[in-house]
Amino acid sequence: MTLLALESCDVFYDKAQALHKVSLGVEANEVVSLIGRNGAGKSTILKTLIGLNRAASGRRLWKGDDVTALRADQLGRLGIAYVPEDRRIFPNLSVEENLRIATLMGRQGGWNLARVYDLFPVLRERSAQPGDTLSGGEQQMLAISRGLLTNPEVLLLDEPTEGLAPLIVDQLVEAMRLINAEGMALLLVEQNLRVPMKLAHRQYVIDHGAIRWSGTTADLQVNRAEIEKLISV
Amino acid sequence: MSTLIIGLSLSFLLFLLSAGLTLIFGMLGVINFAHGALYMLGAYVSYQIVQITGSFWLGLLFAPLIVAALGALIEIVALKRVYSRDHIFQLLLTFGLILVIDDATKLIWGFDYKQVPTPEMLTAPVALFGSQIPSYRLFVIAFGALVSLGLFLLLDRSKWGMIIRAASSDADMARTLGIDVNQVRTGVFALGSFLAALGGAITAPLVPIELGMGFSVIIDCFVVVIIGGLGNIRGAIFASLLLGMTRAVGFTYATEWVELLTFALLIGTLMFRPEGLFSYKGRSA
Repeated sequence: MTLLALESCDVFYDKAQALHKVSLGVEANEVVSLIGRNGAGKSTILKTLIGLNRAASGRRLWKGDDVTALRADQLGRLGIAYVPEDRRIFPNLSVEENLRIATLMGRQGGWNLARVYDLFPVLRERSAQPGDTLSGGEQQMLAISRGLLTNPEVLLLDEPTEGLAPLIVDQLVEAMRLINAEGMALLLVEQNLRVPMKLAHRQYVIDHGAIRWSGTTADLQVNRAEIEKLISV
Repeated sequence: MSTLIIGLSLSFLLFLLSAGLTLIFGMLGVINFAHGALYMLGAYVSYQIVQITGSFWLGLLFAPLIVAALGALIEIVALKRVYSRDHIFQLLLTFGLILVIDDATKLIWGFDYKQVPTPEMLTAPVALFGSQIPSYRLFVIAFGALVSLGLFLLLDRSKWGMIIRAASSDADMARTLGIDVNQVRTGVFALGSFLAALGGAITAPLVPIELGMGFSVIIDCFVVVIIGGLGNIRGAIFASLLLGMTRAVGFTYATEWVELLTFALLIGTLMFRPEGLFSYKGRSA
C-alpha cells in the first residue's frame, strides 16, 4: 500500500518554479531515497510532503486519501515525521524537552523515551543540557529521535549524514536500518549514493526540480555510471 | 525605605506589562502598540466590576479574564491576517487598535476620572524598619512576585511553556510535531492581554483611571523590553527591576532627571548592546 505520495506537484518559490510535475510515493515499510545535487529540489519535495510548502497544482495523498489541504500539524498527527536538513533542534529546550515535545501528539507505537535513549545512549547523558549545546552528530541523533517519538508510519530524513564523521555515519546507518526493520518507512534525501546504496529499496534521482530517473537499487547498480553523471557537481 | 518599596512595586507592575509585551513579540513577531490600551482596559473593567459587585477582589480576578478573552478575539479576527505581511502593517494595525479601544472606552465610561478604592483590609499603613509603608504597596509587591514566579513556572516547567518556547523559536518545526501553532499564537496573545489587564486592575487603586494611562506606561514597557532584549522574558524581569528602581530613586532625589535617566538607559542600550543588556544565547520564550 502506498503510504504517502505526491501526484504531479508544481511548487513555486515566489515566481521561480522549484518542482515540475513531481510524482513519487513511499510504500509501507519501505526505504526510498531521493538523490540529486545541491539545489535539485529534494528538500522542497520533503517540505511539500510534510506540508511546509504548498503545491500550486497537484495532490498529496495519504493511504490513497487526498490530504492536499491539510496543514503540517495535521499531517504530523496522521503519522508523518520530519527530520530537517539543518536539524532544527529547539535551542531553548533541553535535550529531554526536545524529545518530550514530540510525545505530546499522543500517537501510540513502539518508540518511547527509554527506547530512544537505548538507541542513542549519548542523548541520555546529555538529557538536561540545552539542545543547541550538542555536537553535530548528537544533534542529528536528537533530530531523528524527536521524529521517532511521534511514532510515525513514515520518517522523512533530509541529508541525515551530511558533514558527519564516518564513525557517526555508520552509527546512524545502523540506527536507520533498525528503525526500518521495526516497520517504519523511511524517505531518505542524500546528495550521493553512499548511504542510499546501503539502505534503500527504491531510488529517485532528482535534477532541476523534476524526477529524472527512478527504479530499484538493483536497477541503479546497473545504470550507475549514468546516474552518477546526473548527480555529480 | 519607602523608596525601595515604591521602586519594587513599580518594578513588578512594569514586569507584568513588559512580560506580556515580550512574550507576544517572541511568539508572534509583532510589537503590540495596543498593549497599553489593554492595560487601561483592565483598569476600567475592574472599576466596572467594583461598581457592580463592590468587591475589589472580583475585579482583580475577572477583569484580566475578560480582557484576555478580548485579546484572543483581536488575535483571531485581526492580527492573524497580518503575520505574513510587512512589519509596518502590524504596527499600523496595533496602532489602530489603540484608537478603537480608546474611543470605545470614551463611549462606555466617558471622559471623567474613575477611582477604585483601596480594598479595606489593605488601607492601614504598616510600620517597617521605622517607616510607615502603605500596606497596599506591599500587597502589590507580593502579588507581583507571585504572578512572576507563576509565569516562570508556567514557561519553564509546564507542558504549555515547553510548547510556547518551541513554537517561538521555530514555528514550522513545531508544526511538524503536531502542534497547532495558530492556537498557540492566540493563546499567547490572550496571556499577554491577561497580564496587561492584571497590571491595570492592580494599579487601579493607586492612580486615577483615565484615557491616557496606557500611553505613559507603555513607553516605560518598551524601554524595559528593549533593555531586557526583545522576546527575552528573563531579561524583562531584570530590566523591570533596573528601571523601576531607577525611577523610584530618581523621583525621590532628582525628580527632574527621571525621564532623562530613563531614556539615557534606553539610548545607551540601543547604541552599545542592541540585543539587550540581559541577552544570552537562545531565547527563553
